[in-house]
Amino acid sequence: MLRVSELVNEDASLVSRRCWSDPGVYELEKRGVFGRSWLFLGHESQIRNPGDFVQAYMCETPVILARGEGGRVHASVNSCTHRGLPVCRADHGNTRRFVCPYHNWSYTVEGDLVTIPQESEVRNKPDKSRLGLKRVPRVESWRGLIFGCFDEAVEPLEQYLGDMRFYLDALLDRFPGGIEFMGAPHRWVLDANWKLPVENQLGDVNHGAFLHSAIIPREAQDTIEELGHSVVTRPGHGATFRLMPGDAPVDEVAWGLEGMGGIFGGAEVQDYLRDIQARARERVGDLRARMKGLTYGIYPNLSFLWSNTSFKVSHPRGPGKVEYWSWAVVPAEAPDPIKQILRTNYSSFFGPGGMLEQEDSEAWVQQFRGSNIDFADDRPYFYGLGLGEEGPHPELPGLVSVTANEFYARHFFARWRDDLQAVEGLS
Amino acid sequence: MSGQSLKVKPRQQRALERFYFHEARLLDNRQYQQWLELVDEDIRYIMPSRTNLMVDNRERGKEQMISVERELEGSESMGCPLREEGYVHLMVRVERAFKINAWSENPPARTRRIVGNIELMNRDGNQMQLLSNFHLYYARPGGGNFIYSGQRRDTLLLVAHDFRIRRREVIMDYANIDVPTLGLIL
Ligand code: FES
Ligand SMILES: [Fe+2]
Repeated sequence: MLRVSELVNEDASLVSRRCWSDPGVYELEKRGVFGRSWLFLGHESQIRNPGDFVQAYMCETPVILARGEGGRVHASVNSCTHRGLPVCRADHGNTRRFVCPYHNWSYTVEGDLVTIPQESEVRNKPDKSRLGLKRVPRVESWRGLIFGCFDEAVEPLEQYLGDMRFYLDALLDRFPGGIEFMGAPHRWVLDANWKLPVENQLGDVNHGAFLHSAIIPREAQDTIEELGHSVVTRPGHGATFRLMPGDAPVDEVAWGLEGMGGIFGGAEVQDYLRDIQARARERVGDLRARMKGLTYGIYPNLSFLWSNTSFKVSHPRGPGKVEYWSWAVVPAEAPDPIKQILRTNYSSFFGPGGMLEQEDSEAWVQQFRGSNIDFADDRPYFYGLGLGEEGPHPELPGLVSVTANEFYARHFFARWRDDLQAVEGLS
Repeated sequence: MSGQSLKVKPRQQRALERFYFHEARLLDNRQYQQWLELVDEDIRYIMPSRTNLMVDNRERGKEQMISVERELEGSESMGCPLREEGYVHLMVRVERAFKINAWSENPPARTRRIVGNIELMNRDGNQMQLLSNFHLYYARPGGGNFIYSGQRRDTLLLVAHDFRIRRREVIMDYANIDVPTLGLIL
């Protein structure tokens, strides 16, 4: 049995191939990471009305996220208490009851068991109040982002997010009505480990000029190197962005204008985006109005892309399989035709049909293969670029460095190692 | 488009098949620049995403209850189609294919597609609405083998005795997307 201490070295500059491929490590991840962290479940815009629900996952555990009759948000494990079938088979919808197909036990959207059809034929009546769906014990939301946690004792969500809120607000609070998720997520199943998509969008903007050089012009990468900052607010949480000069023209700073929808969507969309930028300073302050984000990551498996506005969740399906979800995200107050154009900022380049992500997904699949070979365990992966070169910044919360510094990934793996060690040997 | 197709003369059907078979051959031969010449510059290329919905009790017994249409998040919807592209997108995709650093297709995937069930559904001046189905075999070196299955809903323009693709909507038959990319020209 592998020891966690052998997987990631002290300063996390060396990461074992087995972190990505070992079934035992994956079992530790389930308990140490996914069992104890806040996991993203959905956005309030997806479940506006009582009875609205969407499907979610917490690692491999299927979850129903629903708005209850009283308006509160509930998260229940989507598995019948009778024989374990999923009681909900739709991606999203609105309902009063979830009816299990096997013997028709039925549950409220809050997860309470209300009917056992066979009950009338037996003398001893089961206590239905104890047979509801398993509840996710902690559910909290911040700025419409809903998270759940299986660990009752977890710190409050806002504390968990910490200074990431500062960076998230650079976008979320730019829009008076916040953001909205459009439609059902695109669910892409890949033969890859869940952590590489996460790492990719936690701070790895350096592969852009190389892996994506068929699409991304070198000049775009030069701007990133010149104006780019990489930030870790707490191990596992990070952001990369360009900090534009105070006198940069609005068209170079404004969110949305550098995507395909912004570029080709016409004057109405462009004016709309300029107008948002014109009010950004009063909404989020001078510093954040100048921020032009790249990637964001929230431990363990939520990512957000700024220019190609998308939220993404990397759901593990074993060490070598991932179900990668992504949603287009738009300002909630935008008129419908503008939302329809802005969603192509996401879909043109990202998602299963996107021009850029077809290269990333192939890299992730090939990395898993490389992590699952024999006779190379004395060649762990090198994570040492820029070791120790990060530091505090006068204005930006967290540790800050250039984007080529891989400290975002070292911090991720240091936290990951600690999380696994916390459950290692227990069981 | 649930009604019967138009009655067409064999010669006309043959002309449509000739166009589609030629297109399929260009794509499988990776002659994408030639393919782009079959495309009208105002093309819309759409791939709706496909969702799993609850059965609506009120629709019980009606065709609508289990129709394909209700599963689609297309360009008119407020969901998110997988692709909504114009000529520029397709041009970039074609250019990419001929760069040495289009890594996921280097070496290129091997494809073979069968296009069939070609039906002319409507005709209005020089515009024609067509349906066709495809099965595509896709083998990516160092990857795996995959089957793509779907329907195409096209608008073709009749231009000087030839056809141009003015609109294409690709309805993919997936439950989960378990292929390496949906960025192919289908
Ligand atoms: S398994 Fe759900 S009712 Fe029997
Ligand atoms: Fe990438």
